Amino acid sequence: MKLLTHNLLSSHVRGLRPGGGFPLQIQASEVRVRPVPFNAAFVARLVPRLRWAALLEAAESLGHPSELPPEPAADYEGDESFLRRVHHILLEVEVLEGVLQCPDSGRRFPISRGIPNMLLSEEEA
Amino acid sequence: MLLSLPISPASSGAVLCRNRRSESCTAVIRLAACTDGSLRAPPPVTVINAVRGGAVPRATRSRRFEALLSGTNAAACRPAPRAGEPPPRRGPWPALRAAGRAKMAAGGGRYFCTAGRGLEPFLAREVRARLGATEVDRVSGKVFFSTEAEPGELRKLKSGERLFLLLKKHTPIPVSRNKGKVLHEIKSLVIEEPKYWLDVISIWRNLHGCGGQKDNVSQENPSPLKRKSEEANIATKRQKMEQVRGTMSEECQAEGGERCVVPERKSDQDCWTESKTSLEDPSKSSGEEPIANEQLSFSFRVSCRCSGAIAKILTSQEIGRAVGIALMKQCGWRADLRDADLEIFIHLNDIHSVVGIPLFRLPLANREYIKTAGLRSTIAWAMASLAEISAGAFVLDPMCGLGTILLEAAKEWPEACYWGADISDSQLEGADVNIRTAGLMDKIELLKASVKALPLPSESFDAVISDIPFGKKFKITKDIQLLPDILQEMERVLRVGGTIVLLLSQDLHKCMDGITKHAENDSPNAISDGASETTTAKALNVDGNSSSLVNGIEESFLSSRQTRFGSLVPDGVYEVSLGKTDAFIYKYRKISSAGNQ
Repeated sequence: MKLLTHNLLSSHVRGLRPGGGFPLQIQASEVRVRPVPFNAAFVARLVPRLRWAALLEAAESLGHPSELPPEPAADYEGDESFLRRVHHILLEVEVLEGVLQCPDSGRRFPISRGIPNMLLSEEEA
Repeated sequence: MLLSLPISPASSGAVLCRNRRSESCTAVIRLAACTDGSLRAPPPVTVINAVRGGAVPRATRSRRFEALLSGTNAAACRPAPRAGEPPPRRGPWPALRAAGRAKMAAGGGRYFCTAGRGLEPFLAREVRARLGATEVDRVSGKVFFSTEAEPGELRKLKSGERLFLLLKKHTPIPVSRNKGKVLHEIKSLVIEEPKYWLDVISIWRNLHGCGGQKDNVSQENPSPLKRKSEEANIATKRQKMEQVRGTMSEECQAEGGERCVVPERKSDQDCWTESKTSLEDPSKSSGEEPIANEQLSFSFRVSCRCSGAIAKILTSQEIGRAVGIALMKQCGWRADLRDADLEIFIHLNDIHSVVGIPLFRLPLANREYIKTAGLRSTIAWAMASLAEISAGAFVLDPMCGLGTILLEAAKEWPEACYWGADISDSQLEGADVNIRTAGLMDKIELLKASVKALPLPSESFDAVISDIPFGKKFKITKDIQLLPDILQEMERVLRVGGTIVLLLSQDLHKCMDGITKHAENDSPNAISDGASETTTAKALNVDGNSSSLVNGIEESFLSSRQTRFGSLVPDGVYEVSLGKTDAFIYKYRKISSAGNQ
């Protein structure tokens, strides 16, 4: 699971307050860093779609502090070193084994072989 | 041996070719002069005389070949190579100019590509977009086109089944009760001087990058580089493909030339047959030219497919056999059903008679980057092509199975991010393997999740593409209950302006109409199941024009969607064949998020 995916994932346990299922807290037992070819234009397109605070928090929790600013700068599109750092944290860091925890309900979703299991039982959904 | 054939304007050039044996060389050269409209001096008469004498010195052959290769005035003016020299090589491309003699655009090769029923519009659009094809002629099950593209580009076609070099395209064979006469007509369509076939073989070899090996006819593997790399990856798959083809595509193969397996959905005699001539003794052939010595180890195979009027008189098998025997006698080749050097395909139906040679050993639909295919790759690609994936798009397949749709989409539109979700561990494992095999781990991420409760934020995806597997696993009543929930979640995660592309089985297609009926209680447009089924089943154009569905159905769809699912507006329905059954590709666009739940 890449942090780009984590940036989208939320818990849909029933009865949560709106937005209560995001962001999921990561408890990783196995993390892998794998190089991915860098494409500045591609990363620049991703930036506006990201929930920035959640990304920074996730990076910290994995022990990969991202050295990213609290908010993307206004001219981020031209800042290659910024884009490279975003690229790295978003696409090159993967959680292979671990757990995602719903902030409100505490429900735990396991990650196995890089694939998070978000299935809810009948009662939960 | 003067043969009479119906002369159509399109084929006049080629008909010249089949006059008396002794004139065939002249005619071929004359053909080269007239097909692309440019005026060229034919090679001197000495060439013909030399050929007629029997022995064909290499230089003469080279010159004649050069003449056939030349597609421009400049080439024709080039001095003939010396004896012993092969023709100047300009890469595989120039060879294409001589290919497809019956019809040839200036400076291009002419091809035809078979397509699963319903995919012809997608293929026609693809050849234009990918290959800059011209003179695109679409008929049922085939697209003819001309292009200057190289084989490497041609191999990338995604919505076609098999690609052929067009050798001849004529009006249908005249059908009479006299079997012998009809066979004779067919043979005259295909049979040519051995030199014609030698040139065809050379062209075909050039296409496969075997340049310089033209003289070595006896090698067992005419396209070592290309074919081996493909076959190394999917050697076993080819076996499977040969079997699967019978059911999945419009083709089938006969075992041992006796049986003919007809795909179930076809009612007419539509089957491939291989020549039975392996039983004949090839050394019996007579009347060979001395150059035929080189050809003795060359093997061929005739595959014939016929339907329509001609299929009532003759079977593909009989035709294949007759043509095969005649070719053996003519050229002294050996027939080989399993691993022929050259395959000759004949398609005969009520629309045309077509002769071609396949460009590639394996069907285009065989993707070397997919280890285990779920949905047929051509259909998966066609669906992805409807989704309007732009750079930076977020694309989701919430019932991804083995990930075929995501693989096709990510391969073609790599500047996007792809997610696949499924509830089955085994499917996700298979998808994972597929993604690794294809080298697309950077592009596609997997989740274990249910489409009924996607763990994803609203309005976060630009496209949702899915093959809905119901109708096979669940009872129809349960389908009707589940489909609205599925559609609802898909619509929720889709951003405004985004597209949903779904593949629905026949049963679900009826369900969609059922949903429509239930969703609108007060609409005056009452829809009966029978009517809705036929009207919504029309295949439509792919140019992005609005659908031409009958108005009543479209309105009801529209209003029902607006009531229940935010605003999903239908944007096309395409009926496609899955082999045994038909399915329907539905495209929707989200125009606003009002009225959601």
